[in-house]
Amino acid sequence: MEAADLQVRNTTYHGFVELGRAPVVGEIAGRLQMSVAEVGASWQRLHGLHALVLDGDGSSLRMANPFSAVPTRHRVRADGRWWFANCAWDAFGICAALHVDGHISSVCPDCSEPIEIDLVAEQPSDTSLLFHSIVPAARWWDDIVFT
Amino acid sequence: MNLFRSEEHIAHWLDGRSPGMTTTVVTLSELAHAWWGNRLDPAWQPRSKAANRAILDSLGLTGPLWSLD
Repeated sequence: MEAADLQVRNTTYHGFVELGRAPVVGEIAGRLQMSVAEVGASWQRLHGLHALVLDGDGSSLRMANPFSAVPTRHRVRADGRWWFANCAWDAFGICAALHVDGHISSVCPDCSEPIEIDLVAEQPSDTSLLFHSIVPAARWWDDIVFT
Repeated sequence: MNLFRSEEHIAHWLDGRSPGMTTTVVTLSELAHAWWGNRLDPAWQPRSKAANRAILDSLGLTGPLWSLD
């Protein structure tokens, strides 16, 4: 990864956390004193490297893993805010990335009952729950939104 | 990638489809902290596939479904 793209990536991630939402390309361009076109091109390269995920039109963020730019069934209360995670794994990942305890709210896809977990010192309050991925690891990036 | 209440809920949800990988939520938390813990570090660098493999191996997440190749 080129140093300039790494800087865009890091600024994008820190912007996401500071704003509590996905930054738009102009916000990152402003922070780095770059043009919108330059940041957009960098985001495209970072998308190709799986360093972030752009929406279908390629101009806005869909994921800065583990953070989701769009609402999902996996919500996390951490560091004084609610976040959306891309999946159950990422829900725990948000607490991990922020280095804080948190609360995870999800839903069992089978029975649609809510699942509520406190995460304290990396330990989940309900240890009876299970995690399942129907997509094998080698194919996670074939369709990362489905995964 | 979802959380389920039990093996029975996973089987019912699969409805005959081939199952994927299942692990406990305790292992999931360990995995998430090992995988995402450095995501906001100023010195973050992309992790190699070998390093990702080492994280999975350290948690016993092995076998064909956990293969990265």
